[in-house]
Amino acid sequence: MTDLTSSGAHGRPKRLRAREGNLLGTSMALIVAILVLPPVWFLFKASITKLNAGLSSDGLTWDNYLRLFTSEALLGSLMNSVIFAVFATLVSLVVGGILAWLVVRTDTPFKGLAFVTTIVSLGTPYILYVTGWLYLLGRSGPINVTWKLITGRMDNLFDVNSLLGMIAIEGFLWSPLVFLLLSATFRTANAEMEEAARMSGASVSSTIWRISFRLAFPAIAALAIFVFVRNLESFEVPALVGMPGGIDVLTTQIYEGVQRMPPDIGYASAYSVAMICCIAVLLYFYGKISSAAERYAGITGKGYRPRLFKLGRYRWLGAAIVLANFVIVLLLPLAAILWMALTPFVQPMRLASLRYVSLKHFENVLGQSYYHGLFLNTVIVAAGTATVVMLLTLFTGWVVARRKAFGKTSEQLVTMPLVFPGLVLGLAVLQLALVFPLPVYGTLWIISFGFIIRYMPYGMRYSFAGIMQIHQELEQAASVAGANTFEIIWRVVTPLLLPALASGWLFIFLIATKEMSMPLLLSGPGAQTIPVAMFDLWSSGQSGEVAALGLIWATLMTILSCAFYLMTRRASAKTFG
Amino acid sequence: MNTNSFLELKALSKTYPKAGEGPSGGVMDFNISLPAGTFFTLLGPSGCGKTTTLRCIAGLEMPDSGTIRIGSEVMFDQASRTAIPANLRRIGMVFQSYAIWPHMTVFENVAFPLRVAKDKSFSRNEITEMVMESLKSVNLDSYADRSATQLSGGQQQRVALARAIVRRPKLLLLDEPLSNLDASLRDEMRKELRRLQQTMGITTIYVTHDQSEALEMSDLIAVMRHGVIEQIASPKELYFSPSTRFIADFIGTNNWIDATVAEIREGIASVQLSDGAVIQAKVHEGAPATGAVRVAIRPENIKIASLESPPAGANRVDGFVRHSGFLGNNIRYSVEVAGGEVVTYGPNGQPLAPGEPLSLWFAPSDAVAFV
Repeated sequence: MTDLTSSGAHGRPKRLRAREGNLLGTSMALIVAILVLPPVWFLFKASITKLNAGLSSDGLTWDNYLRLFTSEALLGSLMNSVIFAVFATLVSLVVGGILAWLVVRTDTPFKGLAFVTTIVSLGTPYILYVTGWLYLLGRSGPINVTWKLITGRMDNLFDVNSLLGMIAIEGFLWSPLVFLLLSATFRTANAEMEEAARMSGASVSSTIWRISFRLAFPAIAALAIFVFVRNLESFEVPALVGMPGGIDVLTTQIYEGVQRMPPDIGYASAYSVAMICCIAVLLYFYGKISSAAERYAGITGKGYRPRLFKLGRYRWLGAAIVLANFVIVLLLPLAAILWMALTPFVQPMRLASLRYVSLKHFENVLGQSYYHGLFLNTVIVAAGTATVVMLLTLFTGWVVARRKAFGKTSEQLVTMPLVFPGLVLGLAVLQLALVFPLPVYGTLWIISFGFIIRYMPYGMRYSFAGIMQIHQELEQAASVAGANTFEIIWRVVTPLLLPALASGWLFIFLIATKEMSMPLLLSGPGAQTIPVAMFDLWSSGQSGEVAALGLIWATLMTILSCAFYLMTRRASAKTFG
Repeated sequence: MNTNSFLELKALSKTYPKAGEGPSGGVMDFNISLPAGTFFTLLGPSGCGKTTTLRCIAGLEMPDSGTIRIGSEVMFDQASRTAIPANLRRIGMVFQSYAIWPHMTVFENVAFPLRVAKDKSFSRNEITEMVMESLKSVNLDSYADRSATQLSGGQQQRVALARAIVRRPKLLLLDEPLSNLDASLRDEMRKELRRLQQTMGITTIYVTHDQSEALEMSDLIAVMRHGVIEQIASPKELYFSPSTRFIADFIGTNNWIDATVAEIREGIASVQLSDGAVIQAKVHEGAPATGAVRVAIRPENIKIASLESPPAGANRVDGFVRHSGFLGNNIRYSVEVAGGEVVTYGPNGQPLAPGEPLSLWFAPSDAVAFV
């Protein structure tokens, strides 16, 4: 076949075409390596560099690691991090999991509310949610105010700046995503598996326990690890909730190391390297378990029909749970944020306070050019990042899917940034920027560069999954018709991949506009993104502006996340992870 | 109550509120009574209600009305509000997707019905013995320790069957079990299913849309369409005396000739073709004595007069060859006759050329006229 199809008048010799593919493979591997490896190297180098008072290098040392492992701070913050991550994961798994099961597998009413919650939370910056929760659970929030009113005491019922407060807020923060991912798992489950158990004589409870739960277990376990890693890396909640209460976790330790005067970059870098190692191990297990989950999902028949459990007289309970989730996860924090945006300073929700209500914060945000600049910056960075990432992953995805030269290497390099917490990647890119010959530090360029590295793995999921669905014969037909590798990718693969590329673009755009921790270390005075600006405003006590800015921004982003949701509703939600 | 029957369905109905496009599915007023040991097939195109009927018997679907009795036990009765849950009906079932649980070994999959049994507890030895016996009957006894994910489609199918029969149920339900297998495996499994059913003497209800499966395996077939039974009959009767045009078309290949009724006497109609020729065909009761009809004749029942001379009383039609196709063991002819084009087969010696005139004949008992 080789000779007949590849050396006709139109075709070029096959060798040459294979060489084109391999050339592309090699170049993509090189490009990705140039993007990913330098930050890693600079981070590692900083962790073993001895700095003198003038911040210049003073030889190599293991001191940073010695200090790290002998200090009590590591043990304490590690403990806090683990407790925080474990329980926050549990909260979001329980809340999101029960909700997903109710919505996908039962006939509970109000299903739409669960999706509304998810869509809105996909478009809302985490920091906005966190400030809403801080108000609700804080000193002037309804819970503590009511408590004081009833008991007449002066102390608070609930101290939000505690590990418990952090766990609750982080848990609620992630539950919409857990809901989305698990509802995909439940939706693709084969109902015949359960019916076979019923026909074998198993009762309903025994079927749920011995079949439904066991079948979903790998997917749930993989998701648990994923959420656990995200919680370990989380910075918003530890910084806003934990730090004021003196509760340190790994990420806040790194942040404090950098913020210290003089900055303790070496120590922070050693911390980061240690953290990357932990996460790498966790992600290794994540990969193992999720491939097991796919194997389970692989055995489904075409006879699949969605069949719902009838809740019968417990239908009201299902309705109550869905409704409660909607109120707690979406309505309450949004109401709190709206209240903050409408009042000049933080105060309890009381009728008497209604006379202070004004649109002043909104006017400020909409009227000042500083805020206009923020909107523009954020859109430029997010759109630029999404475009570059999808282009890069289109080519890398093809090279990997079609097993061209260095495909495996490219794949590993592209997915490597998954092990970087946002703050750590920020630190690594920061050090790269400081030695870069051009003055990029504190510009949108360096923020975009960091984002591109950070979101490549996500873009890859969309591109790779999309390319795997394109039958290779479509490309071979183009090749026989005389197209070269670039023409094949541009004229056959890209048009077919457009829906996947568009979903990936929107997803990356949305998460890039939400990300706070990485740009926090890279932003300069003229180059802030909205979440960073919100953090600054919050730190300087301007909670009203934070709320107004956040609400306007979240409204815009919710429109985009609606579009994203509609586009991907049919696709597997695996692409989110 | 018919006491001779093992399974009885009376006035069973289950309809779905119409959702979206396509047939809404469901079944209306289904009545059947089966003696023990019958291989009974529900045959029909998709959306005809065959799977709904099966799932009602299984207990996976709640009928709107009617009665289901298995043996001496009433499983469902709308009037007395009886509905035994699926897991207490002790029915074996094989699903279309096999539904082999991937988190269990082959042995554990088959042992599951014994482990969750409510009415009886099995000792470890009993379980091992029964599972191995069941696996042996489907020739999978050497696969007991395999993980279910390491099985091919055909093997999964066998495991599903072993799991369905391990408790020796009195009733076995098979929901399109062969539709996911490739052709050669399907033929083999047909024989094996039938053999197993006969050696166990188990009453079996088989759902399929494949008429050749139904004809080969069944004792009794119910052809369903739009939720109602069109005909319940043995495979032979269904093939040679279909009661409706739908069945004549759905089962096997048929030739159709347009004609007009001249007269009907004792179940035999004399019909006239457009060229004036008159032929005889069977008609079902209640057919109108005048008007247009279509006559169905199986290709294998049409003979070429020049090769095989017609007996007295045979129907004769004249036409010419439109097309001949060499099939190896014989030749297939498309012949244009008055009122339609018919297919027939001839020996592979010297084929008739297209355009050549020829005369065909068939027995009146092999032709059925439908309105």
